[in-house]
Amino acid sequence: MKNYDLLVLANKNLWRRKGRTVLTVLGVIIGTASIVVMLSLGIGLVESQKKQMEQWGSLNIIRVHQAWDFPGHEGGQQKRLTDEAIAEIRAIKGVTAISPAIEVGGEARFGRKIGHIMLVGLEPGLMEQLEFSVSDGRLLNQDDRFNVVAGSQVINNFWDPKQRHNPWEWEGPPQGDPLELLDQRLSLTLHNNKQQKRIYNLNVVGILSQKTMERAWEVYAPISELRKMRDFINQGRQDNSFQEKMYMDEKVIISPGRPTPARPAPKLEEQYSFALVRTDDVGDTRRISKELRDRSYNAYSMADNLEGIEEAARRFQAILGGIGAITLLVAAIGITNTMVMSIYERTREIAIMKVIGASFREIRWLFLAESSLIGLLGGSFGIGLSFLLSSVLNRYGASFMNPGGGMMPGSEAIQISMIPPWLVGFALLFSISIGLLSGIYPANRAIRLDPITAMRHG
Amino acid sequence: MPILELKKIVKKYRVGKEIITALDGVDLVVETGEFIAILGTSGCGKTTLLNIAAGLERPTRGDVIFRGVTISKLKEKKTVMFRRKQMGFIFQSYNLLPALTAQENVALPLIFDGIKPRERTLRAAKMLKQVGLMERRKHKPAEMSGGQQQRVSIARALINNPRIIFADEPTGNLDTRTTMDIMSHLQQAVKENGQTLVMVTHDQEVAAFADRIIYMVDGRIVQEKQGGIH
Ligand SMILES: Nc1ncnc2c1ncn2[C@@H]1O[C@H](COP(=O)(O)OP(=O)(O)O)[C@@H](O)[C@H]1O
Ligand SMILES: [Mg+2]
Repeated sequence: MKNYDLLVLANKNLWRRKGRTVLTVLGVIIGTASIVVMLSLGIGLVESQKKQMEQWGSLNIIRVHQAWDFPGHEGGQQKRLTDEAIAEIRAIKGVTAISPAIEVGGEARFGRKIGHIMLVGLEPGLMEQLEFSVSDGRLLNQDDRFNVVAGSQVINNFWDPKQRHNPWEWEGPPQGDPLELLDQRLSLTLHNNKQQKRIYNLNVVGILSQKTMERAWEVYAPISELRKMRDFINQGRQDNSFQEKMYMDEKVIISPGRPTPARPAPKLEEQYSFALVRTDDVGDTRRISKELRDRSYNAYSMADNLEGIEEAARRFQAILGGIGAITLLVAAIGITNTMVMSIYERTREIAIMKVIGASFREIRWLFLAESSLIGLLGGSFGIGLSFLLSSVLNRYGASFMNPGGGMMPGSEAIQISMIPPWLVGFALLFSISIGLLSGIYPANRAIRLDPITAMRHG
Repeated sequence: MPILELKKIVKKYRVGKEIITALDGVDLVVETGEFIAILGTSGCGKTTLLNIAAGLERPTRGDVIFRGVTISKLKEKKTVMFRRKQMGFIFQSYNLLPALTAQENVALPLIFDGIKPRERTLRAAKMLKQVGLMERRKHKPAEMSGGQQQRVSIARALINNPRIIFADEPTGNLDTRTTMDIMSHLQQAVKENGQTLVMVTHDQEVAAFADRIIYMVDGRIVQEKQGGIH
């Protein structure tokens, strides 16, 4: 018997008892929809958490900081960020890019306005890989020297002294237009301990689109220039104490750590402020971040927090999925019941088919096809219903859970229920399998049926 | 070589504590191309004999040899292929599938044989034409008379070109005129194709269509006669 004929015959048999079939399918629809909707709530939870976290930093970036150095805890056992360390990290499997970074802070001028900026030097060619993107202008390239890219909030560091108020004394966050800086010049003044002063004229070629705290307030420049700036600042420096480095002078902030007395530490000028590591996915991020900590680096990533959230979501999903599964189990019993009844009614027909040449296999598959069709129909309509319920939940449930609308400027509306494509595929396969499994017992009954007794007494 | 041989067939049924002997040592040889009628009163074991001859039931003792194969010793899984390819069945109560049209019923054995829809339709239509039911091919069994249903079931029994056809009181539910009509149809069809027909009946007149008549009483063959009156 051809599969096509089997399906046609099964379908024909299915619709002989329309009412009963519709009710059975309805059971599967409800079962499938409850599983899908329940799981979609769990997925929505994880995804909205992820989205929220991405506003604070990318999930594919690890930040490795210079060893913390403060009185009483002189760097501890943590490794210093030197070129050697950068090479070690680059060699870790899963690291797709790494750039060391040097931070230099100082007073800057922008037209009539003054303010304090934090200049960060990076490998200019790696910016795109490190997930920097511009809303206007361009990122840095290898040839840039005094061209810089500014974060979207940098404009708010500047204030007009003539207007006699500091932007931070305003009510609410400062609302400067980031585009004001584009193609403009910033003059940065650096001092060193020999009482020398140097002024750098920086040309802003791009404005970052990122809204994260880490990236919105900093100005990015090629690391080659930052090395020179660092060397300039370090001239004449004798005392590398923590206080001095961090807070001694508002005009000069540089943060490499102090050598620990225990082992000969690299020289100050050989150390970086931090490094950015790029990976390909969240899993790698988490693994590498942990490995770096195991290797005594001061590594940190947004993905580190994900584990706890995912664990909670998994538990939440297990409970919800369990409720859905019970509904589907009830539907499965419904299918079995329908099939057994149908076999009971069709005893004579089964006998006839056996007599005129239907094999065990064909009889079995005829009934399995019927029950799978119920599963397929219930699954398809159940998925349709799930999308409907999901959109209703997102429309009305979201405003209920989050009355103020978005939580941060630029954040998208949160979805409390999400149905990714894999869930559709899973639900369909699952409902067909449920149909198939529910058909096994009835199909075996049909096979065992003795054609002769059935025909004599039918 | 005979197409079918029954050797010392005994069939006993246990009903509660009682044991009923339906067949009590039946020997029968059916030659290829022969039309043979088994005649006997109700309850004498005719249906049982036919079922055992067709491999639908196993004898308690004795052998059934179909074209050299002892089918009474085969598992049900194996006998299916004999029924599908080489045997046709006609029953007193027609046994058509109620959900299928006349044409679909006739084509059903071909579905199990894996024959493509196009060829099935063609062959089923041809068979229905032979039994004179072309214009009824889209009708369900419930929409047809007894005689028409039996003609559909004859078409179904013949569609796979079986070597042997088993008919269990094919006219039992029909009036005399329809009976004669059906019988001549059946007789003509098997003679044309050189097929073998084994028919059981309790009706003398129907048996008279056969080449040979076997008389059965209480599970035994008691007499044999040449037929061929019609
Ligand atoms: N499955 C069965 N179980 C018990 N007894 C049976 C069974 N089939 C047939 N019989 C008995 O065997 C005898 C012969 O029956 P059957 O072959 O149907 O006779 P016929 O077809 O000649 O009317 C009857 O007495 C009947 O009751
Ligand atoms: Mg009988």
